[in-house]
Amino acid sequence: MAAPETSDPWDHLRALPMGRRVEISDGAGHTWTGTVVPRHELSGDRILPLKLDNGYNIGILIEPGFRVRELPPAPSPPTNGVSSPAPTPSGTSPVVLLTTGGTIASRVDYTTGGVRPVREEREILAFYPELAHSGPVRIVPVFDRLSENIVPADWPILARHVVESFAAGARGVVVAHGTDTLGFTAAALAFLLRDLPGPVVLVGAQRSPDRPSSDGSSNLDAAVTLARDGRFGEVVVLMHAGLSDDRFAIHRATWVRKMHSSRRDAFESRNAPPLGRVESGRVHLDQPAAPPASGPPRVDGPLDDRAVLLWMYPGLDPTVADRFVDGQRGVVLAGTGLGHTAATHLDWIRRRVAAGTVVAMTTQCLGGNADPYVYATGRELLEAGVTYLDDLLPETAYVKMLWALGHAPEPDGVRRLLRQSLAGEFLDRHRPAGAA
Amino acid sequence: MKAGLEVHQQLATGKLFCACPSELTEEVGPTFVRRLRATSGENLRVDRAASLQAERGLRYRYETGPANCLVDMDEEPPHPMNEAALDTALTLAVLLDARPVDEIAVMRKIVIDGSNTSGFQRTALIAMGGHLDLASGRSVSIQSICLEEDAARRMGEESGEVTYRLDRLGIPLIEIATGPDVRSGPEAREVAEEIGALLRATRRVRRGIGTIREDLNVSTDGGQRIEIKGVQELRLVHEYVEGEVRRQEVLLAVREALRARQAHVGDPGGVDVTARFSDIVQGPLSAASRHEGPILALALPGFGGLLRSAPGSDERLGRELADQARAAGLRGLLHSDELPNYGVTADHVAAVRADLGSGPDDAFALLTDRSPERARGALRRVAERAAAALDGIPGETRDPLPDGRTRYSRPLPGGDRMYPETDVPPIPVTPERIARIRARLPERPSARLARLAHDHGLGTEVVRQVVYGDLEDRFEELTGRGHSPVLVARLLTQELPAAAPDGGFEPSPATLDALLGAAESGRIAKEGIPTVLRGLANGAPSVEAAIGAAGLGGFTAQDLDAVVARVVDANAELVRRRGPESFSALMGDVMKEVRGRRDGREVAEALRRAIARGGRGPDAVGAA
Repeated sequence: MAAPETSDPWDHLRALPMGRRVEISDGAGHTWTGTVVPRHELSGDRILPLKLDNGYNIGILIEPGFRVRELPPAPSPPTNGVSSPAPTPSGTSPVVLLTTGGTIASRVDYTTGGVRPVREEREILAFYPELAHSGPVRIVPVFDRLSENIVPADWPILARHVVESFAAGARGVVVAHGTDTLGFTAAALAFLLRDLPGPVVLVGAQRSPDRPSSDGSSNLDAAVTLARDGRFGEVVVLMHAGLSDDRFAIHRATWVRKMHSSRRDAFESRNAPPLGRVESGRVHLDQPAAPPASGPPRVDGPLDDRAVLLWMYPGLDPTVADRFVDGQRGVVLAGTGLGHTAATHLDWIRRRVAAGTVVAMTTQCLGGNADPYVYATGRELLEAGVTYLDDLLPETAYVKMLWALGHAPEPDGVRRLLRQSLAGEFLDRHRPAGAA
Repeated sequence: MKAGLEVHQQLATGKLFCACPSELTEEVGPTFVRRLRATSGENLRVDRAASLQAERGLRYRYETGPANCLVDMDEEPPHPMNEAALDTALTLAVLLDARPVDEIAVMRKIVIDGSNTSGFQRTALIAMGGHLDLASGRSVSIQSICLEEDAARRMGEESGEVTYRLDRLGIPLIEIATGPDVRSGPEAREVAEEIGALLRATRRVRRGIGTIREDLNVSTDGGQRIEIKGVQELRLVHEYVEGEVRRQEVLLAVREALRARQAHVGDPGGVDVTARFSDIVQGPLSAASRHEGPILALALPGFGGLLRSAPGSDERLGRELADQARAAGLRGLLHSDELPNYGVTADHVAAVRADLGSGPDDAFALLTDRSPERARGALRRVAERAAAALDGIPGETRDPLPDGRTRYSRPLPGGDRMYPETDVPPIPVTPERIARIRARLPERPSARLARLAHDHGLGTEVVRQVVYGDLEDRFEELTGRGHSPVLVARLLTQELPAAAPDGGFEPSPATLDALLGAAESGRIAKEGIPTVLRGLANGAPSVEAAIGAAGLGGFTAQDLDAVVARVVDANAELVRRRGPESFSALMGDVMKEVRGRRDGREVAEALRRAIARGGRGPDAVGAA
């Protein structure tokens, strides 16, 4: 091997391909031997990351005068490789797994230090080799994006994949999705999909599948079980019901919200308990769910994404809010308390409504109704033309607004659709937690 | 022989990646249940140790408590690394003359026995290359200094569910690994003591049993590296090292004999010999014990007589094979060197030999399990281990047993189980930080030894025991309360350990304070201290109670004079004849009555005075 020796080895080292073995001496008696690995994006200047033979990574500050020797590569142990898919039991109709990326289908990215979505069926099977053990599962990669990068235009595409899956004989459909915006996508599918002959189950993971403790595997397992059970025909979200790996909650798509940034049981049904649960491989439905339709399923599009979601807070400048709404056909306000804004906002709201913008109100409390009749502020907002959406979550209301805008050309039609129950999204009764 | 040590010391700085205290607790809150899977790491390779563990398919129940938050429960990403813990590790690096890395990369080391909720241990290499100078003048190289998370405490296992308590999980551990430079068992112990004293010098370590643990790496010529993991008792370090050397010697001798006989291992699939045992009524192979499972035999041609212990040794190849069967989930195995026995008759042995076509120099192993699949898996592992005996000693991890022996636990983990902890950004180690640490280095044990010896006028050997025996804090506390350094040193290094040789007796500083006070005020003799300590170790509620129970208290100077007078009177003739020279003859008689009740020097003085007065003590009349 060549032993280039320069006064400053940094440029040479920086240009080395990943995986090259080197020996570095600092001239003061210290020597490091290891494999060059990609720099972390937050690594310091002139830091060379090395993977030592004991498996540890370290960073060495390369100074002029350090000596570098390239070494022959270490013999690499055989790769286990990606296991081939287990032969799927035939004779029963399959569950289709649509993957969109997200933590549940991501792996560690050595370069950025973060996680990146996988895009191929074989990579998914490498993570979840036991996926098809209990019955046939067909994997269809749709997107390979973290869910913060999912946009409304993706929702009808996903909905079409669901319809095609059922058309091709699927018993149920599972959608693996990043958790950040999983609630939005779930609500969108709930409004977009009609006459579902079986369950559409959205599932995610709060821990990436390269970790032995990932919740992805048990969530996916339970989601496939639920999709195969086929007792209902609506869109639901399935995630951990608590911190244990043996109980999973079934949430109605329009009621669910991510309420924690990291816990496995981050998803909660608001205003009502979950529809049911999966425990020890069995599905329990605790509340009535939409029965399977005789079909055929269809996509009830389109969406019109000319709408915004605006969180009201003390100090929000009415002129800023007004500008934010420019060019939109609809705006959903997440109001304070029972659905309020500061009186200073009444003016622009009144003006925008008069000009044909649909302004809808929800509560940022994320529980209970928005109600215009209790305080004068609410009555004034109502009088200004704001449409109150009761107990809809702000996110669900936003998604519903896009759907309604896509289905009605006039503001009045939009307002009528907004107030209509389309996917079981409104709750007539709010019962205290734990009530029988 | 070559041996190296890895010393793991818990820090009292709070946990490594969250703000929880580094304290153990008996308070248990809610529990939760998890499963762990062997995942493929960054290069799609699954670590062998990890996949063997995953095959066991266990559920893990975790107990939470006041020392836990969502981070320990794997429900929240790690917080930035604890700065005080990192400073402590860097302090050790400077003290050991090791070179810190310039940027720390926190790694995930896959561990799926459930002891980490995440399925990995976070660990980071802090410094490399250094040396430890021993009192003998020898120097031992330091390979690496790491900072890592301690694991959860295993509380028990029941029907496929292992319970862990999360209090210990995340407590920082400094791991100091020496090079393979240690030459003997006693030297291993010296290295462990020296590193322990250095760690304690930082004053940021946890104290007490289990807070410092040693892993021992031992290899002999011709043997592979053996890692004995988690030795908690310093006094057993050299026993484990020497025991491991003996084990390796025995196994290497067995290898030579096997090679000379051209021994080999039969079909690792085994032979089903269940039918040969249809009449067996007792022992592990009886129908009742094996629950209808098959009995499998492994032929071991050329192994005859080499599975049992050689004369004068307790080590044997048969045990190594049985360990593999146990690791596969069986209760053990039987081998032909120990048969007939355990319900197996000579006829059974002959029948199995016939089935296997074995001759007199050949051996075989028998095992059974209710699950035929598990039995076959175990047999394959036994066959693999027997084949390894022809090569020598396979590298492996072993568990220390309380009697100084060790037992196979798992294969040595490889580098494949390490990949970057992406939730923690790289941590720069700046020259400024190192300079700040250099400016505030703790007193080294050797300096402390010299200072204590000088300040208290004590001999180096006794101070050595104080400093290296983890007694220096108590020594300084008690001498700080004005007690005699000589008395304190003797109490801590000799009398206290002797009072309860099995350990477990740790009187409070207040108790020791009271005991020393009683001796110094003359309420009891200094010689009475061991008696009082024994009383306390046996459950006496206080120093006073122990003094009372031993009958040491209330014996005044007047009582002493009375005894002296009685002894002198009884020997009046001798005293008259020999004068002061009668002292040594009479001292023994007096001590027989007053030992432990009055100080020896005081007794001698009283006796000398009485002899000088010609046999009549001042209070003798009244006391008689």
